[in-house]
Amino acid sequence: MDPHKNKELADLLAACGRRDRAAFARLYQATSAQLFGVAIRMLRREDLAEEILQECYVSIWNNAAGYTAALSAPMTWMTSIVRNRCLDSLRRPNMEVVLSGRDADEAEDPLAAMPSDAPGPLAQLQSASDARALARCLAALEPKMRQAIALAFFDGLSHSELAAHMRQPLGTVKTWVRRGLERLRACLGGD
Amino acid sequence: MKYRNKPELQDRLAAEYVLGTLRGRARARFEGWLREDAVLRRAVAEWEARLGPLTEAVAPIAPPQRVWQAIESRLDGSAAPAPRASFWESLAFWRATGLIASGMAAALLVTVATQKPQVVEVPVVRSVEVPVPSTSMQPSYVSMLRDEAGNVVFIAYAARQSDELWIKKVGMDEPGEGKHYHLWGLTMKPGEPPQSLGVIPPGEKATIKLAAVADKSLADFPALALSLEPMPPVPRSEPVGPVVAKGDCQKFW
Repeated sequence: MDPHKNKELADLLAACGRRDRAAFARLYQATSAQLFGVAIRMLRREDLAEEILQECYVSIWNNAAGYTAALSAPMTWMTSIVRNRCLDSLRRPNMEVVLSGRDADEAEDPLAAMPSDAPGPLAQLQSASDARALARCLAALEPKMRQAIALAFFDGLSHSELAAHMRQPLGTVKTWVRRGLERLRACLGGD
Repeated sequence: MKYRNKPELQDRLAAEYVLGTLRGRARARFEGWLREDAVLRRAVAEWEARLGPLTEAVAPIAPPQRVWQAIESRLDGSAAPAPRASFWESLAFWRATGLIASGMAAALLVTVATQKPQVVEVPVVRSVEVPVPSTSMQPSYVSMLRDEAGNVVFIAYAARQSDELWIKKVGMDEPGEGKHYHLWGLTMKPGEPPQSLGVIPPGEKATIKLAAVADKSLADFPALALSLEPMPPVPRSEPVGPVVAKGDCQKFW
């Protein structure tokens, strides 16, 4: 996300912290489609995604005053709230994993596609300047690691769900996730 | 605590927490540590910054207007629960999100219009929840129909090259005296009424004969619906009773 947009969202959040309802409406307008997309992708249910989006924005409003721009970018902060709430919901025993009806390549390896003129997921990533490094590092991972990380991140699959879906032993999948994350960290200059 | 003074373990836990693979009790315990450990919070924030750009690869979807209305109504300190979406709003939502063609709405409108005043509210649940596939499954169509409360009450399954539709009722009441359940295919195309797939026999499990193999008779229906029809079970061109359950119909393989 470009710095200008970041600043704008941080200002809106600060205004929300001062109980500015108009700023909150603008913040919602600017961010809700992205966050709803994230929630639907993880939950696979519009009704539940709506419920969670509601809760999250109420929570964003209530906690806006505590948001610290120094610690994380505004969209990162809000996305984390939504993702955490979705993960809580996925923990409910009656939620089933759903991965049907999608093109397997796109669904499970959104970063495998090479950059092209078509605005695929990788191209979309690369269009955002601060995401280029991440796209490059993901592209450098072994495909299985990349697939495991993508399924966990986008679809909210747990280790055991990953193992079932990728038809691999649990230990193997755990190793892929762990090594994949370690390599990403090293590639992104984590130390 | 065991994780303290182990920066590598801390970082790994933070990474899996952000990725989402830290689950259940381990996640709850980690969140407890987070509240009192600034170093751990920093590690999480760093991982959120690292992986955060991934969310930009997720296609944005505009939420329906009622979400904002519900949020606003909760800001005044009134913790009133969000108003339950009515049948009509549900249809509007489907249209708004482009998940349904107007034919579906038209089909359901017909149903509602012809069976007043017993309109049942059928909230929209678009998911088709199917277990992670096993290698032994045959090429197939699967549909899970949900009732107004969102519970799966009816499952239908057919192999692509078979004209037998296997059905199972899940905790569904029998239709009662003088009534029967009828299964419909919804084409989601404008102006096209639902197509009859057949009468559901009594009992928990049954098979019904499709007009042709599933690849021909089910391929055109992105969704199925179950209605409660008066006896006798005659072939019908469209439902006259209320829709009691519906759900997507997906080609599994």
